[in-house]
Amino acid sequence: MNTILETRSLNKKVELGKNNELHILKDVDLMIEKGEFVSVMGPSGSGKSTLLYNGSGMDRMTSGSVKFKGLEISGMKEEELAKIRLSSMGFIFQDINLLKNLSLIDNVMFPALVSKDADKKAVHQKAKKLLEMTGIEKLADNNITQASGGQLQRAGICRALINDPDILFGDEPTGALDSKSASEILSILAEINKKGTTIMLVTHDVKVAAKTERILFMVDGNIVAEKKMGKFDSLRDDIMEREEILIKWLMENGF
Amino acid sequence: MIFKIIKNDFKRKKIVTAAVFVFITMAVILGASATNIISNLIQSMSELKAHAVPADIAQMHAGKFDQSGIDKFTQDQSEHIALQETMVLLSIDGRDIHFGNNQTMVGTVQDISFVVQNRKFDFILDLNNEKLDIRKGELAVPIYFMEVYNLKLGDTITLDSKGYRKEFIISEYARDYEMNAPLTSSKRFVVNQSDYDEMIEKQTGELEYLIEFRLKENGDSQVVQTAYIDAGLPANGPTVGGELFLLFNALSDAAIAMIIILISFLLVIIASLCIQLTFLATIDEDLKEIGVMKAMGISRKDIKKVYLNKYRIMSAAAGIIGYLLSFIVVNLFNGNMRLYISSELSGNLKYVLSLIAPVVVYLMIVLYCQKVLRKVDKISAVEALRSDIMERGKKRKYSFPLLSNRLFTINIYMGLRDVWKRFKLYRLLIFIFIACTFIVILPLNIYNTMNSPEFSTYMGIGKCDMRIDLRKTDTITADFARLQEDLENDPDIEKYAAYITCSYQVKNAEGSWDYILIETGDFSVFPLEYLEGRAPERAREISISFANASTDGLNKKVGDDVVVRASGIDKTFKVCGIYQDITNGGKTAKADASLGLNEESVLWYIVNINTTPGVDIRNKMEYFQNAYHSAQVNDIKEYTQQTLGNMIDQLGVIAIGGIAIALIIVVLITSLFLKMLLSKDGSQIAIMRSMGLTTQNIKNQYTAGTLSVLVLGIILGVVASDFLGEIMVSAAMSSMGAARIQFVNIAWQTWLLCPLALIAVVGITISLSCKVAVEEDLSVVLRS
Repeated sequence: MNTILETRSLNKKVELGKNNELHILKDVDLMIEKGEFVSVMGPSGSGKSTLLYNGSGMDRMTSGSVKFKGLEISGMKEEELAKIRLSSMGFIFQDINLLKNLSLIDNVMFPALVSKDADKKAVHQKAKKLLEMTGIEKLADNNITQASGGQLQRAGICRALINDPDILFGDEPTGALDSKSASEILSILAEINKKGTTIMLVTHDVKVAAKTERILFMVDGNIVAEKKMGKFDSLRDDIMEREEILIKWLMENGF
Repeated sequence: MIFKIIKNDFKRKKIVTAAVFVFITMAVILGASATNIISNLIQSMSELKAHAVPADIAQMHAGKFDQSGIDKFTQDQSEHIALQETMVLLSIDGRDIHFGNNQTMVGTVQDISFVVQNRKFDFILDLNNEKLDIRKGELAVPIYFMEVYNLKLGDTITLDSKGYRKEFIISEYARDYEMNAPLTSSKRFVVNQSDYDEMIEKQTGELEYLIEFRLKENGDSQVVQTAYIDAGLPANGPTVGGELFLLFNALSDAAIAMIIILISFLLVIIASLCIQLTFLATIDEDLKEIGVMKAMGISRKDIKKVYLNKYRIMSAAAGIIGYLLSFIVVNLFNGNMRLYISSELSGNLKYVLSLIAPVVVYLMIVLYCQKVLRKVDKISAVEALRSDIMERGKKRKYSFPLLSNRLFTINIYMGLRDVWKRFKLYRLLIFIFIACTFIVILPLNIYNTMNSPEFSTYMGIGKCDMRIDLRKTDTITADFARLQEDLENDPDIEKYAAYITCSYQVKNAEGSWDYILIETGDFSVFPLEYLEGRAPERAREISISFANASTDGLNKKVGDDVVVRASGIDKTFKVCGIYQDITNGGKTAKADASLGLNEESVLWYIVNINTTPGVDIRNKMEYFQNAYHSAQVNDIKEYTQQTLGNMIDQLGVIAIGGIAIALIIVVLITSLFLKMLLSKDGSQIAIMRSMGLTTQNIKNQYTAGTLSVLVLGIILGVVASDFLGEIMVSAAMSSMGAARIQFVNIAWQTWLLCPLALIAVVGITISLSCKVAVEEDLSVVLRS
């Protein structure tokens, strides 16, 4: 397996005022292999989301090293990082974060149209396919005010996938959704992962984590435990059983 | 507690608060300055009038004169007339007045005369508005000449006329209520009685008489004028009424005040737009805060207090500062008034009237805040906290999909469609750009129009290369005949036309007789643009000026009959056209030569000339000036320059000032607008950055949007200043006799130079102030 994302001694400190510093990430070492489906769990304030944003280069780490596809990105300029985000990374957020004045399909197409040599027709076809895959093709031309939270999150996933990223980062993507929508979103993500896209999710929901391949457990800025569950196959695996195993493991680790 | 919230709010929105504060202050400064100018003008004009005691009727006369007839008339009309005095003017040719380094006053369009101070009224004042008392060997120079020739107190002026030579020391400047204005074509130098008597004795110049009447409080000016003419008393020159002196005196200052009021009015609009912009930009944030306060249980009244007090404090402080600063700033605008009307503008009226500006601005802002807060009253704490749920479910047609873009890059397209989508927000900027373009273009258009040879149209003169004026001398008739003969035989002259202006009696609307100036000659050679109808072509046709055609003139339309008395015979003329003329009080007429001359009342001869192509006009002018000593030779531009020079200069200053103000506003507003827009769009920008758009990509979007708004604003602004500006200026000028001003539009200035300057300035402002780089971690903005 190839390592797609690697952090070494990753530190993040935040100034809260004079002589008041919060050390959120403490020398975090992490390796994610290509094609993996990883989730990060932990109590509030343990540094889960901070790891995701610093590991992806979206935020600036305080010290340490981050390699993406073998390339050191920790010292890169903002514009270089933007290019990597555009071409190789996709992000899904709890708050969805679609652009207000664009329709669902335009939101999906926009990142692909930014590159100068974008083939508009091909981009449109691909966006339509993604909307079909996520089941919201009928809402393509709707404004974002005319869709539910679950539908918007599907559009958010489509947008994240439009440029065929190598890795998809998700910050509690189902956190604000009802259980039915959450389950559907997870199925979509599993499907995407099956096709080869690496996924790293932050979640505090056992049901979500149970469907991922490897679970990292963070406490106080450190990864303190790791659980390999293997890829979830809905035909083969019993989700309830995976959830129970996971809960037990979490309790063992003081969650 | 509430004070603490307000203090923190100021701290948090430092730049936005400062910008709004600056605009309110600027609006107050200009608004207060304009009211200051107007109140000063009203007060100092009445003070000047009180000191100068001007005549209510002034009749010019040259030639035979008998005071006893006038004394008898005054006695007969004692019901109307309070005082009568005749000022004897000693006319001196400009070439005979020497000053500085061998300079003379040759070439001035002003008629110069030497006088002594009147005894009863129409006093000529010093700069302290005291009656001039000139000692022997000294003289007082009219302010007009002081400015034109840069004359200083203590300088020597030498009169060298007909073998008589006398040196005078300039001891005072003469503020002359009746003849101050450059538009009044006569100027009076004041000398001591003994010097004056000596000059008369040596016959240094022609004598003219200014027969002046001061009326009783309820004296009727029209009755006196008619009775005077009926009595056949000396009256071969123009008659001027008291209102005209006032009009000429106040005209340029009133025009300046009007332009400043216009600019300050625009600034008040800009300031209120700016406040609206602040609200629009921060309302989401403010709504959240209001929600929090409501959720905390703070009463509606107290929440209102927090918001209202913030803007109350701000507008009150800006009002006080602006009000105080206006008394310094106003000095930039009232230089002309201080010189011509009153050196010490010390009346109290301005302190009271200038308060109008801060009070109006304060009320506008507080009322606006209350309007916004009424909206806030209606929503609950939850709605305020989740303002986005108010948007949910709203069905709107989706327009400008990304795929329909074929012309622009995606980022430029995003910028342009953003303008369309959030037009309510951008329209404020459009208004501001329109206003700024208007501020730049209107004074420029007025300046270019007044500075162009085309302006002669409004002075009742057809366009020509040069103009020769022959005025009252003993040899005038012979000179005129010789000049025409010369012109006929001169191969350098392409064409010429001679005109003779005499004073005639005309029957007015009431059936009594008025004197008006009628020019006769061939008007087809140098055609004049007519408001209505055409120039007289046939016998018994007359065209009249706009002021004469109006209700307070002869009240005539094209096709009406006018009865003119020439050499004692009444002749009926048909009005064939109406033209614009701001000279001679606006009341002139032009008739076919069949009218015949009023030999005794010939005022001047004018010859308009076009030279053959290739001939040096300057040389030709010099030639005529040397060949005809008593003539004034001007090119048309020079003529307008001298008559309106003061106003043109001030307009030049205003045009430059307008450009400077507009550029400052454009820079401030654009950067403020972007600052607010970017802070409002913070989360959207963070989303785009998270997708992988570079700061340059995002900057391009905002640049495209803002520049497209600017281009739209410029186009609308230029069109508005061309059309609306013409209407406004025509309305303002109609009291002077020009009712339809057409701007001379120098296309490269209005459509190229000014727009490019604005675009360049806005472009630089955008590139400097459009900072889309997210300074904190992106995730902080995305998750906030």
